[in-house]
Amino acid sequence: MAFAAPVSVLRQDVKAPQFALKDLNGRIVRLSDYKGKVVLINFWATWCPPCRAEMPDLVRLQREHGKEGLQIIGITYPPERRARVRRFARGLKVNYPIILGTREIKARFSSDETLPLTIVINRDGKVIEIISGILLREEFDEKIKPLLMKDIEGEMSNAKSNH
Amino acid sequence: MRSRITNLVVSGVLVLTLGVITAAAFTKTVTIKVEGMKCPKCSASVSKALKATEGVEDAEVSAEKGVAVIKYDDQKLTETKLREVINSTGFKAKEEPGQ
Repeated sequence: MAFAAPVSVLRQDVKAPQFALKDLNGRIVRLSDYKGKVVLINFWATWCPPCRAEMPDLVRLQREHGKEGLQIIGITYPPERRARVRRFARGLKVNYPIILGTREIKARFSSDETLPLTIVINRDGKVIEIISGILLREEFDEKIKPLLMKDIEGEMSNAKSNH
Repeated sequence: MRSRITNLVVSGVLVLTLGVITAAAFTKTVTIKVEGMKCPKCSASVSKALKATEGVEDAEVSAEKGVAVIKYDDQKLTETKLREVINSTGFKAKEEPGQ
């Protein structure tokens, strides 16, 4: 496990703390692997009904917006048994990395104990929003879609200026 | 002139009063039992989803009591829809007898 400079309670619009943690398949997942993407770090638990309810939506969002640069990372919180989490993730055909979290990593992102909790990180690696509770469709459209659009707009203006 | 102003003021007050009475007539309060709200950390999603629903004026959710008290506009929403919103958060809105 590796962390960047400690940030005890994360404020919005600051650089997200870096991490390198193993996913369910033993692969190291680093936040830096997703540089340039819009990252949603979703803290969840298998025993939390709203977390379970929102996961099919997260799977759909990853499928529909992955090409636009959306990357969801699920982190279990509080700590849970690998076998239980793996069984659950397989059942839902989760299409994004799931990491077994610790209290330490959760504390580095937020002191909000609500579950689920989603940290929204923009393409510059800054925390833009902390969404407490289930991620509503309206919230995705209002807060996350514009972040995905930003790069498309940027690419278009770059393409224009190159011509 | 003065009586004309008085008439206008009286009409204005009347319209406002009628508006308030009509709005109040459409507002209903319902208490729905919610099963499975064992963790207070998770129940925040229920009030969040309810408050984001058009027609809901207020929603108080108690994980301890296992209930959601919802004030809503019955011209825009039905109790069935409110139960669907609760169920969409992973909990179970208990059906009352006769529903």
